[in-house]
Amino acid sequence: MSIASLTKAWQPMSYGFLDASAKRELRRKMLKAIAVPGCQMPYASREVPMARGWGTGGLQVTLTLLKPSSVVKVIDQGADDSVNAASIRSFLSKVSGAAETWDTLAASLIQSRHRIPEERLHAGQILVLQVPNPEPLRPVEPNMSVARQMHADADYGRLWLILYEQIVRSGRIMEGAAYPSVVNGRHVMTPSPIPRWDVPKLHMAQHLTFLSAGREKRLYAVPPFTKVEPLVFSDVPFKVEDHGALTCHRSGVSGFYMNEIPQDNGGSAFELSDSHLGIKAIRKAEGEADRIGATWYRNGQLA
Amino acid sequence: MTALAQSLVPASVPVPDAFEARTNATFEALMWALSRPGTVQTLPAPGMKGLVEALVDRECKVFCDDADLSDFVAFTGAALMPAAAADHAFMGLDRAEGLKNLEQIPVGSALYPDDGATVVAFARFGEGQKLRLTGPGIETSVEITLGGLVPGLWALRAARSRYPAGFDMFFICGTSVIGLPRSTLIEVL
Repeated sequence: MSIASLTKAWQPMSYGFLDASAKRELRRKMLKAIAVPGCQMPYASREVPMARGWGTGGLQVTLTLLKPSSVVKVIDQGADDSVNAASIRSFLSKVSGAAETWDTLAASLIQSRHRIPEERLHAGQILVLQVPNPEPLRPVEPNMSVARQMHADADYGRLWLILYEQIVRSGRIMEGAAYPSVVNGRHVMTPSPIPRWDVPKLHMAQHLTFLSAGREKRLYAVPPFTKVEPLVFSDVPFKVEDHGALTCHRSGVSGFYMNEIPQDNGGSAFELSDSHLGIKAIRKAEGEADRIGATWYRNGQLA
Repeated sequence: MTALAQSLVPASVPVPDAFEARTNATFEALMWALSRPGTVQTLPAPGMKGLVEALVDRECKVFCDDADLSDFVAFTGAALMPAAAADHAFMGLDRAEGLKNLEQIPVGSALYPDDGATVVAFARFGEGQKLRLTGPGIETSVEITLGGLVPGLWALRAARSRYPAGFDMFFICGTSVIGLPRSTLIEVL
């Protein structure tokens, strides 16, 4: 054995920014996360050149998976062109040589803040969701040691109590995002603050989903073909947002999740939250050959 | 830009070295193997060494019953441990002794499912015991045959699995790998 065999040549930066030991730790935890779907696995959460809470958890998972042939798409609330999404995407390609795309169909790796694209993800695609608060029990149990015991016991009664109280107070379930869902019939997870509209997209999906919280140092996963069932009462069915009848004022497309844009006259206009679907629709209307993939929703109904 | 800041900017498109490319590809195979139990994924190199490179370092406690591979594991800085204390086990499951070791492998607990170990063993694909798999990652059910394994393995796995506690398995045959996470229900046909 020689010194040279124990060291590596100096390089200004590890490929994909994270060093090899950070990647190994993430890999070990990602495998455990897949093995126990929906169960939060602790990890070290390294420093990345971005403030905690801005997607560092998702970033670390993405950096671990990146290779030169990856094609990355980054979404921020449905948009590819927001400052946060554009910055993360250019960082990812800069440190890995991976290609960038806005197109859901072309991407091999999709990092997302709070939306799942409207076009169906296919087998082989990986969705990485950034998670601010991974603990579904936090509103009912602030002590995380107790919360861990509740997960171990599958003691989720108090989550139903929250939903019950909302129905009693407001006549409907008020949980707008991060709707607690049972994964594989065992662990309740918070599917990151995606709208209710996106929760059914995780159920028995073709793609692999990682959810990673950098600040909270936990990650969990939903493998393909895994049951993801929102918590419901048998007589109060799960309902997605009432967006099926809304029309996008820019692309004219309807039947998808919309952003509400307040107008000067007190009314609202709506536009597609999945910005690149809107771009594709506009291009198609203008006669360009742009392929829109199969969507999870058709005419506002889950297909 | 100062000289230091300049040196931190990659001069050109970063290219992974052979180690990074290999470990990345190995992990991708393992990830899809575990995500889609029963499917055969392809490793960049045959054998267990690639898995050691991709997963194991000085934070790990490794059980290894192969002298050759033990040296390779020790080189990563991992602590070589008896089966009962390991978080990664590279072991032979083709003999009765393997079954004894597997009895000792940590399965974690409902409180700490991540303490369940990762078990890696050689097997022969497409011959031997027929198994029907159901669970996450499998749309309905899938049937595989795994040979070269000690009888009683599947009974032991079933006896020691108390979901979410359990151990996760990778079987290797040349450059092929099959993953069986603890979430998979195995029916011995």
